[in-house]
Amino acid sequence: MLALPAVLFTATLFLLPVLVLLSEGFKVDEAWSLQGYADFISKPLNQTVFFRTLKLGFLVAGVSAVIGYATAFSIFHLPSKHRGRIFGLVVLPLMISPVARTYAWIVILGRTGIVNDAIVGLGLSDTPIRLLFTETAVFLGLLQLFMPLMIISLISAMENLPNDAVAAARVLGANWLQVFLKVILPLTKEGLVIGGTLVFTGSLTAYITPAILGGAKVLMLETLLYQRVNVANDFVSAGIIATILITMSFGSNLLFKRIATARK
Amino acid sequence: MKYLIFAAISAILAVHTAVAADKKLTISVYSFAQDAYKEALYDPFEAICDCELVIETGNSVERMAKIEANAAKPVIDMAVISSHDALALARKGLLQNLDVSKLSSYNDLYEAAKNPLGENWAVGYTFYASSIVYRSDLIQINSWKDLLSPELAGRVALPNITGTQGPLTLFMLSKALGHQGYGFEETIDSIGARADDIVTFYVRSSQLAQLMNQEEVIAAPVGRFAWSSFAKSPLPFVWANPQEGQTGGMNVMIMTKGNGNEELAYQFMDYWLSVESQTRIANAKIDSPANKKVQVSDEVAVSLTYGAELIDSLNIISPADIIDNREGWVERWNTKVIK
Repeated sequence: MLALPAVLFTATLFLLPVLVLLSEGFKVDEAWSLQGYADFISKPLNQTVFFRTLKLGFLVAGVSAVIGYATAFSIFHLPSKHRGRIFGLVVLPLMISPVARTYAWIVILGRTGIVNDAIVGLGLSDTPIRLLFTETAVFLGLLQLFMPLMIISLISAMENLPNDAVAAARVLGANWLQVFLKVILPLTKEGLVIGGTLVFTGSLTAYITPAILGGAKVLMLETLLYQRVNVANDFVSAGIIATILITMSFGSNLLFKRIATARK
Repeated sequence: MKYLIFAAISAILAVHTAVAADKKLTISVYSFAQDAYKEALYDPFEAICDCELVIETGNSVERMAKIEANAAKPVIDMAVISSHDALALARKGLLQNLDVSKLSSYNDLYEAAKNPLGENWAVGYTFYASSIVYRSDLIQINSWKDLLSPELAGRVALPNITGTQGPLTLFMLSKALGHQGYGFEETIDSIGARADDIVTFYVRSSQLAQLMNQEEVIAAPVGRFAWSSFAKSPLPFVWANPQEGQTGGMNVMIMTKGNGNEELAYQFMDYWLSVESQTRIANAKIDSPANKKVQVSDEVAVSLTYGAELIDSLNIISPADIIDNREGWVERWNTKVIK
């Protein structure tokens, strides 16, 4: 009963507007129809954007998981007096505006940036290569943006890892790959599911990073949504894209849970 | 008796004060340079009109959507908007024909600004030229078609079709490439064939200024209003004078149909179009004047689209051609260029 005001507040000011927006995608000339979805899906550009968004989401989540496990495991095994400081360094980027972090990549990945200086300096290319406004740039920006969430989730999960579990497995003859697959992964799967969902969902819905580092040449669903609303005043497509993004977010959570369960 | 007169005068003054305080004009404007506009236009007008200006800002789509959504009972009295967006609103029956006799500065405007949409739907208040900014130490630009030349492959940016500059660039590229009509099919296909050579399709001129100052891009079409971002750079940027000429456009003032606040709206429009206000706005380098009597220094003029010779020479695509073809351009652009 005490939760009623909060429930009403959320339902009225959040759920209702979202439902109104999403319902736009199911209407054609004020009549309920799936024609809008059929039209949206039939366009090659929309298909390209959808699969690009999906691909980058999974790629960022996957690479975050690989680097995140190594980082989280290293931090977890640091002496406690250093652990807090290093953990603070992981959290620190989350306190900096995504706009500032993304603009830094423009400088780093530019023709005169540090990456191209290194490429030309090492003789890997005679001239600077184009890195900005590519999928690679968007991938790097999203990875840097969301990987801390994976690391935090995994460190939290590793708190439940018994102190002697890894040592016991090693004593019994397991190599490091077996230790990871048979001991660490099963015991930290909840962290992987939470981290994977956060990173994947974040990558799907981030707007600033794809807009700045990808621009119109690397459209993703969220930048396409902005374009449809703010340029074309097309709320039907916006509702469809929003529905797809929400479905992908829930779907990813179910998928990660399934993967984690399958490894049990 | 004197108490009665005193009370009556007090009552009249009180009513007058209340009415004055209630005088409000709601205007819808572009969100850029609002601090400068407040100083150059809004505050001086409020000082003489004894009224309150309510400023609503946003991009064109948001502002047009608000005007359309409140057509029955307008919440916006007067707006400034691009000429083609104004025509789109006029075609939907959302605007009222202006009574230009109430604009004392009307005869001082450049001819092109007087009745740009016909039937006095709008009056122009500013022009903007568009051309190509380029690095004079690295490249020479003589024609709009140089944007697609092999020398600029990988170093050129174009405006996205969804912005104001996109259609203008297509218009001039079509002219340079010898293509006919306003469908721009062949021109869009030519850009699509070279899409990999184009660094990005920028949306905002501020984004382009950063890319050019970072040496990522060495040539791109841009509006004159953004020239100051390039002029103050240590890099040698030059404003091109292509053989096909410069392009450009105009922003206009409109009044919503049946807003009930016409007199105050006319007063504000007339004030905005006056030599006094247009000079102040030009000197602040916010917008170029549409009033031909405005005089500015050479230092100010270089940042603006200023003077009859320049304005008369601009290649301007008609608002009707833009809104009749825009959907087709975006569709083809998404298919052939963005892919």
